[in-house]
Amino acid sequence: MLHDAGMLPRLLLALSVMSAPSRVAFPAELRTLPQDLHYCQELVARLATLPAGVQQPARGLGEEGELLCRTGHIRTGIARLRRALRVAQGR
Amino acid sequence: MPHAVPLAAATRRRGQHPGPLWQLLSSAGFRFALLFAALFLLAGLAFTGVLWWGTAGALDRQIDAAIRADAMALAERWRDAGDQAVADAIGERLALDAENQTLYLLSAPSGQRLAGNLEALPQGFAPDVQWYGMSLERDGIPGEARLFVLPLPDGSRLAVGRDVEEKLRLRALLTEGLAWSAGVALLFAFAGAALLRRALERRLAPVTATAALIAGGDLSPRVPLSGREDEFEALGHSMNTMLDRIAHLMEGVRGVSDAIAHDLRTPIARARNRLEEALANADDPAALHSALERGIADLDNVTRVFQAVLRIAEVEAGARRAAFAPVDLVPLLEDAAELYGATAEENGQTLRTEWPAALPLTGDRDLLLQALANLLDNAVKFTPDGGSILLKAELLEDAIVVRVSDQGPGLSLEDRERVGERFFRADSSRNTPGSGLGLSLVRAVVQLHGGTLWFDEGHGESLDKPGLAVCFRLPLA
Amino acid sequence: MRILLVEDDAEVGRFVKKGLQEAGHTVEHVPNGREGLFMAASENFDLLVLDRMLPGGIDGVRLVETLRGQGNHTPVLFLSALAGVDERVKGLKAGGDDYLVKPFAFAELLARCEALGRRPAVDAPATRLKIADLELDLLSRTVTRGGKRIDVQPREFRLLEHLMRHAGQVVTRTMLLEKVWDYHFDPQTNVIDVHVSRLRQKLDKGFDKPLIHTVRNAGYMIRAEP
Repeated sequence: MLHDAGMLPRLLLALSVMSAPSRVAFPAELRTLPQDLHYCQELVARLATLPAGVQQPARGLGEEGELLCRTGHIRTGIARLRRALRVAQGR
Repeated sequence: MPHAVPLAAATRRRGQHPGPLWQLLSSAGFRFALLFAALFLLAGLAFTGVLWWGTAGALDRQIDAAIRADAMALAERWRDAGDQAVADAIGERLALDAENQTLYLLSAPSGQRLAGNLEALPQGFAPDVQWYGMSLERDGIPGEARLFVLPLPDGSRLAVGRDVEEKLRLRALLTEGLAWSAGVALLFAFAGAALLRRALERRLAPVTATAALIAGGDLSPRVPLSGREDEFEALGHSMNTMLDRIAHLMEGVRGVSDAIAHDLRTPIARARNRLEEALANADDPAALHSALERGIADLDNVTRVFQAVLRIAEVEAGARRAAFAPVDLVPLLEDAAELYGATAEENGQTLRTEWPAALPLTGDRDLLLQALANLLDNAVKFTPDGGSILLKAELLEDAIVVRVSDQGPGLSLEDRERVGERFFRADSSRNTPGSGLGLSLVRAVVQLHGGTLWFDEGHGESLDKPGLAVCFRLPLA
Repeated sequence: MRILLVEDDAEVGRFVKKGLQEAGHTVEHVPNGREGLFMAASENFDLLVLDRMLPGGIDGVRLVETLRGQGNHTPVLFLSALAGVDERVKGLKAGGDDYLVKPFAFAELLARCEALGRRPAVDAPATRLKIADLELDLLSRTVTRGGKRIDVQPREFRLLEHLMRHAGQVVTRTMLLEKVWDYHFDPQTNVIDVHVSRLRQKLDKGFDKPLIHTVRNAGYMIRAEP
């Protein structure tokens, strides 16, 4: 039974490795456009056009997003701004 | 042959000292448990597989439906209002995509990007294929994309997709969970099998221990019963019953040797004495000749007694019961009466008979006739000339009762009570050849047929010869 | 008769061979089953007398089974120390024709041998049996001697019929009990004798030539000469 006990974790490890998507570095077949500060400002402008965009809580989220973008956290900022837009649209 | 020997020796060695794994595998208990565990594992795997497919698959279908619906809506928009309207719509959707999962691309017939967040159509793009799955790079983060490409009437192309990285992670999670549960189930299977095997061994231990003791030569031990009403208890019960029977038979065998010694010693001694006497007084050849003849007759008598004792033992052991068949007692009574009727006639005796038309029972024809013959034989022998013998049988509700009555000296009350004893031979009959054993055989035959034997007073007409009636009852069913 | 005796006990073999030879038969004696099978299969015998328990792998039962399987129908008489009913049945089922238990009286053996070896006087299903002036009508079940009808009971008729079918041969008491009464046990007393003597009285009354003779220490025989 001893060598049976040793086999098990090895087996499980192999399974989990096989099922995970390969993260080997080869160039992706599809790429998105990089998100930049320009897009951030686009989103800010869009928020401002919405009536609920200037009211809380959307406004607070929007301001947070704008701050994040300006301080260099583009992705997080864009995500926050998008959330603000969502809230402003009532979703 | 130098090669054959070592191989044989090795095989023998392996057989004599099986490894623990071999011992485990050859245990029936273990194999049963393993079978159950395998079935359980299979069922579990099937269940988990269905579940996995249901979740991951449903997820796939859900994503594809969403993509398609999105694409159709955008195509509607394009039909209604053209490229710009679609671009606006795409922009709107992207603006609300807080999870950053959507992928859009509107490309002109020339291939130029008109709207959306994808750089270009995928590398492996083929005009007649609509659905694509490929690796994705989103802001430097690797992922997996599911893409739907819809060709628009003017040659432009609309691509709508989703980042399905999450789904893949869920799938990986499920697979890992499945593998772990399979591993645990396997562990449980082995553990359970070992436990089951030990439990079986423990339950069988009393039986095997008793069997070992008995194989050692002592017939007295019995399987200790625990009181639980299960199959092992039943096994213990049957073993005990079997052992009781064996002990009874062994006792019977011992009884036979005792009986042979008991019943043969006298006739053998008598024969020897007569021959010795004849040798001592050897005068003329004629006397010697008759002495030899008598010796042969004595030896024949010994053989006869021997056969009778063996027959009684055989009947008492109950082996003949297996050959029982339906038999009507009436023809047997008729034959017996006829057989001994001639002798009775010669002695001037009357043989009175009385029985119904039929007496059906199950039994051994030969043994029953021999029993009747023995009784009639005794009756004819003991009844004085001119007397009468009665052979009567009647059918009761659940049994047949047979009565053979004579007018001989009969048996004292004490002797009549001794009918159940092992070596019952009525003292007064010891001098008459064979009658004692004859009664023993009758008793054995009656007992074999599940009946009972008893004595009564006969129908003798004088005080010193009251006669003896031998009665026996045989159950019908 | 040519008789083959297969018996491993030297003493019994010698005794039987001598007795049978003195009775006028030719006897071959072999001590084991293998030789017995060989001889029985290769030569012609009128009768085989086999011990049941034989050494060397082939016992009496197997020997007979083999012979019967080869289509050999020589009559077989078993000699055996095994006296149980099952053993008897086993021997007869294997193809034996008769079964005699040891120890036996030689007269019994001789009588049974002759009964098996020689075909009875009347072979074909006849309607009449006749010896000297005694006649048996099997259809009407009547007995006449010298033209005069004799009254006999049914059992006596069967007894007489058996004796006449084996006219000139010794019929022992046990044989009569087996064949006429269909029972197999050894009666302690002379039950059969009484029946035979009663029959004899009926037959010989008024005639000067007795037909049923007692053969000393053996049994009975019906024959014309005294």
